[in-house]
Order: sequence, then C-alpha cells, then structure tokens
Amino acid sequence: MLTKVKSGASSGLEILGIDVEVNVAKRGLPGFDIVGLPNKAIAESKERVKTALISSKIEFPSKKIIVNLAPADIPKEGASYDLPIAVGIISCEYGYSLPEKSLFFGELSLDGSLRHTKGTLLLALYAKESGFKNIFIPKDCANEAAIIKGINIFPLENLIQLCAHLSKQKLIKPFVYQKKIEDEHLFAEFDMAEILGQEQAKRAVEIAAAGGHNILMVGSPGAGKTMIAKALPGILPSLSEIEALEVTKIYSAAGQIPAGSSLINIPPFRSPHHTASSVGIIGGGQRPQPGEISLAHRGVLFLDEFNEFPRSVLEAMRQPLEDGYLTISRSKERIKYPARFMLVASANPCPCGFLNHPKKECTCSLRIIQKYKKRISGPILDRIDLHIDIQPVDLKEFSENQKLTEFLENSFSIRKRVLSARQIQRKRFLDDSIFTNAEMKNHHIKKYCKISKEIEKILQQATLKFQLSARSYLKIIKVARTIADFDNSLDIQINHIAEALQYRSKEE
Amino acid sequence: MSFFIIKDKEYPKLLKKIGKDTPEKLYYKGILDDKIFENCLAVVGSRRMTIYGKQVTEKIVTELASAGLTIVSGFMYGIDATSHRVALIANGRTIAVMPCGIDLIHPEYQKELYNEILSNNGLIISEYKEKTQPAKWTYPQRNRIVAGLSQAVLIVEAEEKSGSLITANWAKKFKRKIFVIPGPITSKNSKGIMQLIKEGATPISSAQEILQYYKLQITNHKLQTNPKSKIPNSQMTIEQKILEQLKRESLGLGVDELARVFAMPVSQIGVILSMMQLKGLIKQQGIKYYVN
Repeated sequence: MLTKVKSGASSGLEILGIDVEVNVAKRGLPGFDIVGLPNKAIAESKERVKTALISSKIEFPSKKIIVNLAPADIPKEGASYDLPIAVGIISCEYGYSLPEKSLFFGELSLDGSLRHTKGTLLLALYAKESGFKNIFIPKDCANEAAIIKGINIFPLENLIQLCAHLSKQKLIKPFVYQKKIEDEHLFAEFDMAEILGQEQAKRAVEIAAAGGHNILMVGSPGAGKTMIAKALPGILPSLSEIEALEVTKIYSAAGQIPAGSSLINIPPFRSPHHTASSVGIIGGGQRPQPGEISLAHRGVLFLDEFNEFPRSVLEAMRQPLEDGYLTISRSKERIKYPARFMLVASANPCPCGFLNHPKKECTCSLRIIQKYKKRISGPILDRIDLHIDIQPVDLKEFSENQKLTEFLENSFSIRKRVLSARQIQRKRFLDDSIFTNAEMKNHHIKKYCKISKEIEKILQQATLKFQLSARSYLKIIKVARTIADFDNSLDIQINHIAEALQYRSKEE
Repeated sequence: MSFFIIKDKEYPKLLKKIGKDTPEKLYYKGILDDKIFENCLAVVGSRRMTIYGKQVTEKIVTELASAGLTIVSGFMYGIDATSHRVALIANGRTIAVMPCGIDLIHPEYQKELYNEILSNNGLIISEYKEKTQPAKWTYPQRNRIVAGLSQAVLIVEAEEKSGSLITANWAKKFKRKIFVIPGPITSKNSKGIMQLIKEGATPISSAQEILQYYKLQITNHKLQTNPKSKIPNSQMTIEQKILEQLKRESLGLGVDELARVFAMPVSQIGVILSMMQLKGLIKQQGIKYYVN
C-alpha cells in the first residue's frame, strides 16, 4: 500500500515542498530503504524511525518498505523527515487516513517523542502561502511556528499521541500563540549610566543607534570601547513586526531559536571573535548556512579588534554592507540571506595600543603603525559613517567630583530619543522601502537632505580644511540628517552639520 | 647629479672647519643657492615624536625658517621630517642630509617630502655615492655633517642614548652652540634633553632666543595679541573661553574634557569646536585640541 505524506525541505530561507512516498509492499523480502538523494542524517533516519515505533508500542512491519523523497533530484538533508516517514508507515500499516492539506515535519527521538527541529517558522510560512491548513510539528517548536496566523498548528509530544489523533480516539488541540512576557525587556550587559566619561563616544553611539549608522571606535586598551558597544543593545528600539519576522526567519533557518521561544523582537547583538572562520562570519558552507552578518540582521554586528580580522573576511563584508543582503551561489542553488546590520567596530590605534595615550608611551615605530592601519582597506572605512577616538578616563576625576556622576543619563532615557528619531525616519521612508538614514542612497539624500546655501559654504570650507573625499561628504550629510531628526527638524541646520563634522574620519 | 670637493669655492665654509671630519666629497641634489649655507640651524630630535614635540617644532621652526634660517636635518621620520616640512610650509630653506647614497630615498615612503624639498629650492646632501645602502655606521656619520653644516643645533625631543645625542656630541666637538627645548619630565623623550641641559646646553622656550644668537629679527610673523584688550571673564563668548582654556593647557584638551569644564552637553561643544576649527582658531591632533 502506498501513502503520500507532505513535508518540506529548507533551502536558505525558502521551503520546497517534498512528497514523502512510503510504500509497504506485501511481497518481497523484509527491508527498509530510503531513496531520493538523502544525506547521512536521513539515511540514519531508518534506525530512528524503527526504534521510535517499537518504543511507542507500535509494531514495525516486517515487510519491504521503500521511502521515496520526491522530487528525487534535490539533495535533502536534516532529520525533519523522521516524522513524515513514521507517519507514512503507520498510515500504510494501520490504514489511518491522513488529514487533508497537512504537513508533517520533525525529528524523532528513540523513545518515540519528538525533538526540537529547526526551520518550523519557515515551514509555517510555506504552509500558509501554498494553501495548507494543518501542520504537525514537535511541541517545542509550536510557538515558533504559531507566529504565522491562519493555519492549525498541532503540537506533537510523541507518536502515541499522534496515533490517537489519527485514529480519532483523542484529538490534539491546535496550538494557540503565546506571547512572551519578557519580550519588552532590555537585554544589555551594561547600562549607559555605568560608563563614566566618554561623553562624545556615548553621543556617537546614540546617533549610530538612531540612524543605523556604522561606527568605528579607536582607542587604547581599557578605554571602554567594548563596554560602550555592549551597552548599545540597551538603547536600541525593539524590532517592528516586519523586521522581527525577517530576523526570526533567519534564526529559524539556522536552528537558533530555543525550545518554546517565539518571535525575536529584540535587535540581535552578535560579537564574533576575530579568529572565527570566514564561512562562520559571512555565511556559506556546502549547504549554505547564514553567517554572523545575517544573524545580526536588523541588529548589531560588533567586531572587537577590527584590525585583527582577516582581510578576506572584511572585504567579503563589503557587498552586504552596501546592499543589505548576501547571495551565496552554488552549482545547485542560489541562496539569498538578508544582512542589513549595524557594524560596530573597535580597534587599537597601534599594535601596542598606547598611541595618543595620556600617560603611557607608545613603543611602535611609524612604519608599524602605518602597516597596522592599512589592514583595514579604504572601501571598508568608506562604509563607516561615524569615526570616534576614545581615550581612557581618569577615574580619579570622577571619584573626586561627585557632580560628574550625578547627571549620567541611563539607557532607558537615551532609548526614548532613539525611538522617536527612528519613528521620524520610518515615516519619511514609508515609500522608499528603507528604514533608516544609514540606508539612504544618493537619490534619497537629494530628496530628503536639502542643503541651504549657507551650509553648502560650510561644507566646502570643511572639505578644504579636512580634505574630505566625496564619499565622506555624503556621510557627513547622512549623519547630520540623523542629528536633525533628534531635534525633529525638517531641514538640516548649521549646528547639525557642525556636529556631524566631529565624527568624520580623521585619517584622510 | 652634482658634487663638490673641499677645494671648491662653493663648498660649505663651516663644514671645512671641522678638521679631519670634513668629508672629501659631497654629493648634492637641487639648485645651489649661495645663501643657503649662510645661516644654518640643525633641528633634530626623536623619531618617536610626541604630540608635544610636533607642536613645539611646528611653532618654533615656523618662526625660525620664516626669519631666514636654513633648517638642516636628517630626513628621518619624527622631528626631522616635521622640521623639513614646517620649513617648507613657512617658505623657508631646508637641507636634508641623507644616511645613504645620493640616489636613494631613505626612508622610501617619505618620497613626497623628498620631492617637495627639491621643488622648493631645498637641498639634498650625502657623502655617499649612487645607491649606497644605509648602514648602522652611516647614521652617526650623517649626523656629523648635519652638525658640521650648522652654527647651532636645536634638539627638540631626545631619548637616552639616541641619535640626537650623537648629533649633539658632534656639535660639542665642533664647538657649535647647542639649544634644547625642555619637555615634560614624565616623558621618555625628555631624558636626553635633561642630560644635555646638565651638560650646559641652552634651554629655550621661543624662537626669539635662537634668532638673537644669529642676530636676526622675527619677520613675517604675527606678534602676540596686545595684552591691553583683555576682556573680563563674564563677557567672553564661549569661543573665547575655550581659547583661554586651551592656552592654559599645553597638552591640549579632548572634547570630553572640554564638555566637563564648561558643563555643556558634548553635542553642543562639538558644534562649537567644529566651527572654531573651520575658522582656523584651533586645531585637532589625535584626540586633543590645541590653539592654532
């Protein structure tokens, strides 16, 4: 007898419909084979399915069983075919009819229970788009899939429960989406109020957060670069619904959504170490997986010790920094992962770290310093809007002067300003399919950043004085746009441009 | 390529007076101007120039070069290269003495400065022919010529046992005047300077003192603002207050420090500082701001 069970295979952020055809033949020597380009994990599925059925007190038919994963020419991977295969065998053997327009997806444990499986959100999306009504998935991922409204999600604990449902003895109740309570909680290691001094750096980070600008902090060890970066998530506004869905899809594909969790509406904060591999950071692999830059989509990618990252990795980041997505091409497939992140980089000014330090002396020769700086190419620096020099703070000054510590603003109140600036931007870019000032292209700048004669004069002066390149000129206007948004000002004023000049790259 | 030998009329007179240390043959590049060897001052110092070193070199060498002194130095990066550069900016004359063959540029990456010296009536000098590679022993020999060409030597920053002290020793041997610029006692670059002061070098704090030695006048330089026009503190604009504050702090102030001093948000102080920079009132070096 032949049964067809519908399931899905993930390819990047897409799901391809897969028919799992199970045939339990009445004749032939007993055996169990899976065909249709299965990988190792699927080939081993035989043993898992067999043991899981036996553990669930369901007799495993001692007949010739053939499983075909169609279409046969797409390579398939992952353990999510365990459930459809098991369902197919049960249905064949016991004659249960399967509910119509249903998808089965999930990995089996040897004891017959279902394990957390990656990609269920993508599956639910696929189900909705392709007109399926029900999806049967492991219970642990139910809340992840339930983000998508309009389809019945059946959370499965084990095969026995499923059998009872199929035989209509005891029906499983469709899952209801549970909104997480801690969703609005702010996740940051430090509060901005904990950082003493560093007024300009904090202001720059605030601007960066509001406009989604990339920022580079250069300073001696112990100056507080890492601390400032780690306080950044605390001032970032939560993700909008569209953004949250984009982010959650990537995490679902990467299998990084913990059991029971759901929509990610906190901007992700990723800080890969500089020894991480190129594939780990950019994405790729034989079956292309999202890298850190995609996991940081709509959030922050913090690269500490920026100069220490291999040049090849930084160069590979150029295209995603510009376009906001990464295309991985393989002979069999082309996968597009979104990667619109805010780059926060920190670096030492020289190999010893003490160049320009107020107290310690730098021991590097000029040539070594130049070589060190050259490790980051011009095109990468060009894509960073805010450049900040950070100097260690004299803690004594703060312990002696109580006044200075009294007025430290906390992350919560900074976040309010960031939020209102973001809302202004969202309104402005409603028809442009971008969200932030940092994403503005030349035609957006022309449209939204009207420059008066007076300001143009100042910019010309600055171009001469600071030897600004054409690209830095535009970067200054973009940053000034964000500063103007803080003031809720329709036009960019002189003081906005003047402040933006503070954050220019001083290397040119 | 041109050269002169001891017997030539054009051979620098001062360099003839150093006895057996006089180089037999001297190669040069550039246009020979008979006045260039007249009032020579060697300006040398540390390769690891601090911001302070750069600041004082810029200030004092500008005045010296525009008053007509020829600035002689060793073309090394740090104080040497800065002195050459500043002399050129001030439309003054400068001579670079190379530790390598006349056809080499060392260090190579200062090629731009090299060309600028040549195109601005400066002179490149070496006692080594063609493409002789620089060696450990050619640097002190180069310093001998730097000191030998000059009536006086000005040392800006020097570590202990540094090349600048070798130049000072040559100067002492040739009975040339030694000027030094004192630095903060906490800096390594002040150690060599302290040693020289103890040995009798003349510490200076303005170009005037050197010019007096050469019997020259400060020309083409804006005099200090007249002290009469002192405005009471309360009536000063914020720009004036910042200028006053920066004048007091020789080591400069960062934007965060200024924000604390004036109890202003850093965004506002940033606006003011940008505008002051554009007006040319202050300049930024590294993290700190200085009075221009």
